[in-house]
Amino acid sequence: MTTMTRRNLLRLGALAGAGAVTAGCATPGTTSVNAEPTVPAAPAGETITLTYWAWLKDLQKVCDVWNAQNPHIQVQASWIQGGNAGGYQKLYSALAAGGGPDLGQVELRSLPEFMLVNGLVDLRRYGVDDYADRYNEALWQQVSYVDGVYGIPQDSGPMALYYRPDLLDAVGAAPPQTWAQWADVARAVRDTGAHLDCFNYADASWFAAMAQQAGARWLRVEDDSWVIALADETTLEVARFFDAAIDEGLLTTAYGQFSTPWFAAAANNDIAGLISASWGDALLQGVSGASGLWRVAPMPRWETGYASSFLGGSSAAVMANSRHPKEAMEFAVWMTTRPEGINAMIEHCGIGWSPASDYIGSAREGGSEFFGGQPYNTEVFEPAAAPAAQNLEWSWWPITQQSFNILADGFRAKAAGGTLVDAVVAAQGTIVRTFRNKGLTIREETA
Amino acid sequence: MSDPTTVRRRKRSVSSPGAAPWLLLAPFLAVFAFTFVLPIIVAVGNSFTRVTRLGVFGEEGVITEFAWFANYAQALENGNFIASIGRMLLFGVVQVTVMITLSTVLALLLESASARWPGVFRAIYFLPYGIPGVVATILWSFLYVPGLSPIIDVAAWVGWDVDFLGAGSVLWSIANIVTWTYAGYNMLIIVAQLKAIPGEVYEAARVDGAGPLRMAFAIQLPLIRPALVLTVVFSIIGTLQLFAEPQVLATVAPSIDSEYTPNLSAYTTAFAYNDYNVAAAQAVLIALVAFALSFTFLRLTNRSSS
Repeated sequence: MTTMTRRNLLRLGALAGAGAVTAGCATPGTTSVNAEPTVPAAPAGETITLTYWAWLKDLQKVCDVWNAQNPHIQVQASWIQGGNAGGYQKLYSALAAGGGPDLGQVELRSLPEFMLVNGLVDLRRYGVDDYADRYNEALWQQVSYVDGVYGIPQDSGPMALYYRPDLLDAVGAAPPQTWAQWADVARAVRDTGAHLDCFNYADASWFAAMAQQAGARWLRVEDDSWVIALADETTLEVARFFDAAIDEGLLTTAYGQFSTPWFAAAANNDIAGLISASWGDALLQGVSGASGLWRVAPMPRWETGYASSFLGGSSAAVMANSRHPKEAMEFAVWMTTRPEGINAMIEHCGIGWSPASDYIGSAREGGSEFFGGQPYNTEVFEPAAAPAAQNLEWSWWPITQQSFNILADGFRAKAAGGTLVDAVVAAQGTIVRTFRNKGLTIREETA
Repeated sequence: MSDPTTVRRRKRSVSSPGAAPWLLLAPFLAVFAFTFVLPIIVAVGNSFTRVTRLGVFGEEGVITEFAWFANYAQALENGNFIASIGRMLLFGVVQVTVMITLSTVLALLLESASARWPGVFRAIYFLPYGIPGVVATILWSFLYVPGLSPIIDVAAWVGWDVDFLGAGSVLWSIANIVTWTYAGYNMLIIVAQLKAIPGEVYEAARVDGAGPLRMAFAIQLPLIRPALVLTVVFSIIGTLQLFAEPQVLATVAPSIDSEYTPNLSAYTTAFAYNDYNVAAAQAVLIALVAFALSFTFLRLTNRSSS
């Protein structure tokens, strides 16, 4: 009898414990820190410590530059895995548990996903507008949502055409200035057995960047509702172009840029060019025996749209559980706009393009031996990053990653006879359904 | 039996075991409860919960409610998830059959009377199991990637254009890695069972004039049946849980999508889409399918043996 009672008690205890735990982790992220009063700045003289979780290497060396100048605001960097490879999972669980760092590295395109779980502090309430003019306008747009600003742009990737002058000369071609010319050059290159670029069915972000360049605006907020215009004429035109290009064999679909087979093909002179972001310069140097062979030219243009586009880019976002949001914001602003911050970020972390509007970093001002002495940063990427060359209307949405996977699933069907156009049209419907499943308000743009 | 001392002793041991067993079991029970039982309960609970966020970013309210089977319905509506289960069934039918056949043949060869250095070969066949799946996949990817793979180069010389990573072939490239890894492990289980066959049975067979083939089919195969059933059930469960190999191979094979296997699909839903509730429903569904398949297989083998 006694053992029976004990067992029953244990069972009861286990059930109660399970119930408590289930209730405890039922809905993290359902209250908004931005509805609470702002956190006042730490009193003068008090020393505080901020933490910054990021996947930049050697970030602590950048923090140390700041720490030496600001003895009362010490910043500690912790390394996490890059984005969806594990870093976000860690940030999400920390947020759900009510803890986590003051600052987290969040890709520009992932900011809305963090907003959806109430993970970010609205920096407008801490006076971030005072610093807005220090930043590239297009990137500032990508951290601003509805009435708030939810991150400090940290790096980005203005796009250009990397190419092999020797392989283009062999077919008597110059770097193309329009996409129509690009197709002509690609055709000539294809006839020599090489490719001018590749199209990775598995990663829709490159296609999104192309649509962005052409002037598309896939999702936006209007009157308390999301408006989707993924399958608008601009995007469909881009899809048609790449449908034709893939059908003609102008782009290889066997691998993506900077993947293992791509490096093998590039080392074998089978890759005559690629359209990629400024951070591609470091990756390109991983191609064996390529030093001096590559040059950079501006991106070819669509008939509509802009001179360039952005691929990738991240922000330093103040996380909801930060106890010192104002100081965290000020550190992030220093790191991303002050010359010593930018230079340290380039030297130690190898960040992408600086989001500052007036300084690209001293390391990026001269010529580069790898690119045959071409001062490609000032010559090509600086004008490409300028607001005049970029789509200022573009913004991201709460299920960006899922949307890219939905598109990629559609793109893969092209291998079995589908088209990119079909994929884009179908994706719009799926994305609308996904928004509604989450309870979010969305409508399709009526042309 | 009627000795009063034994009766008393037995009675005492039954009625008052004291706290000792519980104390000794406590470390195990605590870990078991918190890392196994509790997560399952939480997952099942999550799979019946739904969180909706109203407005543009959930600023108009966040509702958490009991959702009945809405998450299950959403998981089953997802064509990619269903396709991944179908893909794994196809994979299982082919890969498990090939692997178990291979394991059995290897085990029979190693245990045959004419085998040379069986210990050495057993160790060699078992070796791949010691290599973690992720590392094995990276190793194999060097043999699959065009431009790096000597196999593709050699095939090209004889005019044969092979693509190990295409949409139609990549599943079998994964199957090859899995077979390479686990054939030796399964072989070892079968060898253990073969060693348990008493020598007299072989002697009797030999006296009756049975050759090696006859002996394999009439004696060894029927007697290692329990080991075969065990390895097949393990392999069926392992197939449905396939994760690391496609996840790693996806970096070189664009044809592997983010929901290529059921587990990848649940992982993506939970950690890339932040939809833990639907992911929990998917996880429960995967467990149910694995259970149903294993159970069906056991029933079928039991019926045919009786």
